[in-house]
Amino acid sequence: MNTIRYLLTAVLAGAMLYVPIADAADPPLIRFGRGFAAEEQVWLMSARPDLAPNQGKKYQLKQILFRANPQRFQAYLAGELDGGTAPGLAVIFARSQGVDMKILASICLEAAGSEHFSTTYMAKDGGPVKSVKDLKGRTLGVVGIKTATDLWARAGLLNAGLTPDVDTKVVPLGFPAMGEAVRSGKVDAGTFVEPFYSAEVAKGGLRKLFTAVEAVGYDHELLDIWFGEKFLKAHPDAVRAFLADYVAVTKYYLQNTRQAKTDLHKAGFVRTPLAVYLKNSDWKRDPGARVDVESLKKLAVFMQGKLGWLEKSVKVEDMVDLSYLPR
Amino acid sequence: MKSLRSFMLFGSVLLAWELAARSGWWNPLLFPSLAKIADEFIRFVAGADGLHETWVSLYRALGGFALAAVVGVVIGILMGRSALAAALLDPAFSGTYAVPKLALFPIFIFVFGIGSLSKVALVFLECLYPIVIITCQGARNVSPVLIWSAQNMGASRVRIFGRVVVPATVPYIFAGLRVALPVAMIVVIITEMISSADGLGYRVIYALASLQTDRMLAVVLAIALLGYVLDRALVALRGRLVYWEKLDTFYV
Repeated sequence: MNTIRYLLTAVLAGAMLYVPIADAADPPLIRFGRGFAAEEQVWLMSARPDLAPNQGKKYQLKQILFRANPQRFQAYLAGELDGGTAPGLAVIFARSQGVDMKILASICLEAAGSEHFSTTYMAKDGGPVKSVKDLKGRTLGVVGIKTATDLWARAGLLNAGLTPDVDTKVVPLGFPAMGEAVRSGKVDAGTFVEPFYSAEVAKGGLRKLFTAVEAVGYDHELLDIWFGEKFLKAHPDAVRAFLADYVAVTKYYLQNTRQAKTDLHKAGFVRTPLAVYLKNSDWKRDPGARVDVESLKKLAVFMQGKLGWLEKSVKVEDMVDLSYLPR
Repeated sequence: MKSLRSFMLFGSVLLAWELAARSGWWNPLLFPSLAKIADEFIRFVAGADGLHETWVSLYRALGGFALAAVVGVVIGILMGRSALAAALLDPAFSGTYAVPKLALFPIFIFVFGIGSLSKVALVFLECLYPIVIITCQGARNVSPVLIWSAQNMGASRVRIFGRVVVPATVPYIFAGLRVALPVAMIVVIITEMISSADGLGYRVIYALASLQTDRMLAVVLAIALLGYVLDRALVALRGRLVYWEKLDTFYV
């Protein structure tokens, strides 16, 4: 009987000792929802963990691929994600519905200038659409309803004095199908991002109508990193360590783009042929990952005032927290 | 008593939903209460937009369904009554029944455009299979006794077809239509969710894009009610057209 008691005591004592040891040994796991375009620095953290020295020590990273933003946010609401990537406007939507999340860092921006790529809207060369005004009574393809591509399309139409949905139909269509849809006249203009943009321009026969930056009139946030407020409160040091690594990886990516892209391709994060991927122009990325808060404020005002997409206004300054970024 | 039992089951499901929504276990954005869904549903139904979107989805679904009904019944009866037609067409239908036709939607967009036609065409294709296969079974199962009797009474082939084969197949035709009708609604909603600027499927995606789950579920509720009304209408039509099943002499 005594032997059993001693054994039980030993097991309990062992278990009690093990818990703090296990806690100390295992840094917090960040379940991170990622997308499939323009997030190179984030992917590089998993493709090249050697560039992220805090990984495995101060945090663990598990990246989960999502095809669309609503699904990513639903996973977060269901408690399956701690943070992730998303377009700024998607986070604005989420915040307007009361989702407890904050933008902590920038991934890339839509910016003017030949050195950066900006999402481009194109029509068939030699077709009836010579300018945006010619889209009256016609169809414009975007990648999804209430996405950034939808916002830019509507901004471009409004600039030309056209009312979206009334004068011009805005229809969703996948990026890979966009080029053929424009060429075959199934849509009169479409949205083009890399790598499809370069591929379609190389084929010829398409003319540019406007870019995302021209549509809204200013450089603005495209993709950002967000975290749930509960996770931020529970593991602030893990998030700081994650962002320190993220900024370091961003700097590496900007200085060694060719090598970084090669590594991403090798790791399977990018399916575009390597030669095409290396040639593609890239979005603007801030080396310090600082978020352009003013541009998000303008976007929120535009979404509510001009597009009627928000029923309630969103306080963007409460939505962004840059204090977790390395100083 | 039977309707009371169904009502109790339905009521229990609603009660369980409301209790779960109010339990605080799930985020209300993900699992909204029935009151919120009902509120959104009333707004949707009362608004002009709601009626317009419902009409758009309805004409797409019924357009493709009606086309499939006409073509499907003709092919089904042909296959059921002609060994040659069955030998020619059966491999094509049996071999491609399991193909998920929705996967062909991008091709349909390129052939028929991004508007209603591509959706109507896909609804037609999806509905065609159950109608053809069930109608064919019905036409094949026409009792030889009925046909022999008609022949003995001197009826011509055309008369036997019109007065014996078709009426005996009608219950099967309606069974095929009843299987195909919800398929038409499902296909139209999914295609509108994939690529459309209007319709109920578009409304689902529109609400989902801004995390308005209550609004999205209100549209889903509208779709469910629409499906129910269409099904009841089809059952009522069957009751009127297949009147002989109710006659006392039917089983004699």
